[in-house]
Amino acid sequence: MGKGKYEESSSDEEVNSSSDVVEASSDEEVESSSDEVEALSDDVESSEDESSSDNEKVEESDSSEDEVAPRNTVGDIPLVEWHKDEEHIGYDIKGRKIKKQPRKDKLASFIEGADDPKNWRKIYDEYNDEEIELTKDEIKIIQRVISGRTPHAEVNPYEDYVDWFEYEDKGHPLSNAPEPKRRFIPSKWEQKRVANLVRKIRAGLIKVSDQNKEEEHNVYSLWTDDTDSVENKKRGGYVPAPKPKLPGHEEAYNPPVEYIPTAEEINSYELMYEEDRPKFIPRRYLNYRSVPAYDKGVKESFDRCLDQYLCPRTRKKRINIDPESLKPKLPSRKDLRPYPTTCYLEYRGHMGPVNCISVDPSGQWLASGSTDGTARVWEIETGRCLKIWEVGEVARQICWNPSPDRPILAVVLEYDVLLLNSGMGDIDIQTKMKELLHISEPGATEDAGDSKSAVTWIQHEKHDGIRMKHFKAVSSIEWHFKGDYFTTVVPSGDSKAILLHQLSKKHSETPFRKLGIPVTAVFHPSKKKFFVATKKFVHVYDLSKVEKIQKLETGVREISSISIHPGGENIIVGSKEGKMCWFDLELSTRPYKTLKVHSKDITRVTFHRTYPLFASASDDCTAYVFHSTVYSDLNQNPLIVPLEILRGHKPEHGRGVLDCKYHPRQPWLFTAGADSIIKLYCH
Amino acid sequence: MEPNGSGSDASRQVQARFVTRLPPPLRVPPASMAVPSHLTRFGLSDIVNLLLKNSDPDHENQPFDFLIDGELVRMQLDEFLIAKGISAEKVLELEYVKAVAPRKQEDPRPHDDWVSAVDGSNSSFILTGCYDTFVRIWKSGDVSECTHVLEGHTGAITSAKFIDIRGVENEQNFHLVTGSKDRLLRLWKCDAAKRRGDPIRVGAYKILAGHTSSVQSVSVNPSREMICSGSWDCSIKLWDVKESEEDGDGTTISLKKRKVNSKTKESVDARLEGAATSTLVGHTQCVSVATWPDPDVLYSASWDHSVRQWDVPSGKETWTMVCGKALNCLDIGGEGSALVAAGGSDPVLRIWDPRKPGSLAPIFQYSSHSSWISACKWHPRSWFHLLSASYDGKVMLWDLRTAWPLAVMESHQDKVLCADWWKDDSVVSGGADSKLCITSGIEIQ
Repeated sequence: MGKGKYEESSSDEEVNSSSDVVEASSDEEVESSSDEVEALSDDVESSEDESSSDNEKVEESDSSEDEVAPRNTVGDIPLVEWHKDEEHIGYDIKGRKIKKQPRKDKLASFIEGADDPKNWRKIYDEYNDEEIELTKDEIKIIQRVISGRTPHAEVNPYEDYVDWFEYEDKGHPLSNAPEPKRRFIPSKWEQKRVANLVRKIRAGLIKVSDQNKEEEHNVYSLWTDDTDSVENKKRGGYVPAPKPKLPGHEEAYNPPVEYIPTAEEINSYELMYEEDRPKFIPRRYLNYRSVPAYDKGVKESFDRCLDQYLCPRTRKKRINIDPESLKPKLPSRKDLRPYPTTCYLEYRGHMGPVNCISVDPSGQWLASGSTDGTARVWEIETGRCLKIWEVGEVARQICWNPSPDRPILAVVLEYDVLLLNSGMGDIDIQTKMKELLHISEPGATEDAGDSKSAVTWIQHEKHDGIRMKHFKAVSSIEWHFKGDYFTTVVPSGDSKAILLHQLSKKHSETPFRKLGIPVTAVFHPSKKKFFVATKKFVHVYDLSKVEKIQKLETGVREISSISIHPGGENIIVGSKEGKMCWFDLELSTRPYKTLKVHSKDITRVTFHRTYPLFASASDDCTAYVFHSTVYSDLNQNPLIVPLEILRGHKPEHGRGVLDCKYHPRQPWLFTAGADSIIKLYCH
Repeated sequence: MEPNGSGSDASRQVQARFVTRLPPPLRVPPASMAVPSHLTRFGLSDIVNLLLKNSDPDHENQPFDFLIDGELVRMQLDEFLIAKGISAEKVLELEYVKAVAPRKQEDPRPHDDWVSAVDGSNSSFILTGCYDTFVRIWKSGDVSECTHVLEGHTGAITSAKFIDIRGVENEQNFHLVTGSKDRLLRLWKCDAAKRRGDPIRVGAYKILAGHTSSVQSVSVNPSREMICSGSWDCSIKLWDVKESEEDGDGTTISLKKRKVNSKTKESVDARLEGAATSTLVGHTQCVSVATWPDPDVLYSASWDHSVRQWDVPSGKETWTMVCGKALNCLDIGGEGSALVAAGGSDPVLRIWDPRKPGSLAPIFQYSSHSSWISACKWHPRSWFHLLSASYDGKVMLWDLRTAWPLAVMESHQDKVLCADWWKDDSVVSGGADSKLCITSGIEIQ
């Protein structure tokens, strides 16, 4: 093959010829071909020389000379556009311009075409600016290519098999065995299986889904860092080593001037701590050649390796939560108005710490008891002291009778409870009160049997009231809401600790068995229930049956006071460690909420009778005002919002605010301080 | 021309013309002049005084207040113009009025206890009620003279009012009413003619009983025939005092005689007691004030945070306004005698206009006090001026045309419990320091 073939198929297309060249290289005549190729190249050169010498001749040559390198050497440029207005169409290999042929006008070319029967075989070669007439063979090749056959009719695609190898059974097929029958018969098992599948698909047992198609599109990025991928996280987290910092401009051999520290700066580095000192000080070198070897290079790479090896790169589970979002959504304080905020009135006059205050049910008068041995009644509106009783002992508790037509004050002294006529109300009420507070014979309690030793009712001559002598110190007193019964608590361990008294009959009894040392006791505001607070628990009693219903576990060290929500289903408990517990009796026997607000003992917690407010007073000289909405819907828990910290009292002997009470009708809070002042905070 | 004009500041000037409604001796020529824009009302006042002195050498300097577009100037002129968006290019019209400020503090009238009620509706006498259960009548004059002491109440007096005064100078007959914390109202009569050295002791000629709790306020209607009273029992009671007045004279004297001779009080009381003609029910808490400015309309304020307007003939509420605070005082006055001023359990004095439809927001709020407001009174003749008294011991004068108090009177050492205008140019106030303070010389045109 080689040159001979080359010459034979000179009219062939270039594609074909190149394939022939490849073929030639794979031939056995490889050795000889190299010489021939050289000869060929010489031949080409010589022909080019020829073509360059007689340019005019070449122009007239037919397309069979395609193999000759193209005359025009301008390359693959948009000829029509660039040489539209030029005289030439390019340059030949010697750099001379190739002139454009004179353009025929359309009419002449048409007439010429109509006359010439070979015109349909002519095509215009734009690159060389010439018309080429295709030969019949070429037309045939084109037709064959168009019809999808091999270009040359003489090429046989199905040539006979030539067995190049030598083996025994040469001359026979690979095996002489006859074709097995299964090759011709469809598989029975396959058929069964297909039938089975078809049946299942019809029955809906197998669902043909498009999932398989989607899986085909499961593309993944080959080059991305997959440390954050789900797969990696599932496998337990490969953590890539942190990447070292890339060198910057300052590490260049000739960095810009602004990177180079001055001598002062270098000196100041010396004063720094080892850790703070910069690791690298930029320097200038004249050329790259003079840059010395980096002396810390080995150490640093060793350190880095050590780092990567020893550093425990485990993934820490960290939850990224905005702390603000964890706060409960509370309504704005502005929406919860009115509530007490500012102190406008002060009630001055007591000479010692004011232990207790109480507001009369109409909201006109305020009663207070103090360590200075007096009980006083104040006019709320003006702050005037109206009445003073010299009781002679420390008044520990004071309590107005909640009934408006019984303006009686109960004052707790050390062992005694005084029932005093406050002197308010009109003449009818006054005469009734005088009757009520009169004991004809001191032995009225004799029929009480057991309680005889517990309480004695005596007429108090000096203040025109009743004196009830208890066998021990009394700690608290609370009226029943109807104003006839009241309870006193004597903190002792026996059954006589809680006493119930009836004012109209001047009668006392002790209905409860012993239950630790009670601290305080209160009546339910509407039902026949009774709450007794011991140091750690609150016991709820049914008064009609005299039996325990509930026992509330407060979880505090020592209860100091409790208050019942006017609805009766919620209570708050204040403790001596500054904690306040809110109990929802319907919900649980454990606190619904425990509020740690005060830094010292809570002295009093109290609910407002009509507004959704409660308050706590403490020895840290503050009183807190809270909002509390109790919903009638049992599914909704009470809403508690702290509203205001009321300050203003001064500490006295380590004690602060000793009592706080709400005004029965206004959103006002009274606080009694150890500084012997009572303050009124208004909205 | 300018008293303190200097240097660069003087370069900024506004053209102004001074106008006034004051009588001629206090008028300045109406020509416009350049006034430094940094002047305050004091500087402007100096200019006016200087102008007046030019025309009248005998003129005595006195302070003036300046109004621009019906608003009192309370800052520098340029600041005021910027704040109100008034162009400084035009000729500014500055209306000047006499500055409203107390000029004289009279000797306080001492009492035995807190002074809780005061009435200055009479020009020659002041009526005060006191926590020592006595009502006193003071004659005007430099010497503190108590002419009458009305005794009979058993509780602190909360309110005292002149019903009317008959007769001429020396033969005056007082007719008055008092309310007290002893749940009773008492009607009194006495005449000013009989003057001796000691105050005359007078007893009530009639007792009006009916309230079941402390009477907080008493008010007389414009025709002087009816009175109303508000009480802690949440009700307002109306009482007819006309008929009692007719059979009055003899009774008073006889009571006085009887009181002197024998104390058969019980039998007297039965004859003397009067009953309420009607009761207005609606408030849910203590009615702290009831005033009766119009024959048919009665206003009341209460601790239940509401101000109510009542139609007297039908006894029905016609207007209710809830303000959010417990109210202690209320007065009707101002423009067309229709504005409601009220103060209560916070330091803000609020003024409402009940004629304004659709809105119950106060049209003015004055909050210079620092404690509860105990009294507020409109000036009897001016539409713009009112006074307020507070538990912080201050009495303040207000002009609706500015947000700052015109004057602050700090004559009390303790809470001020009551205050009233007296003789149009004085303020009388009583407080918890047991004094009745009289501040006079307040000129209001």
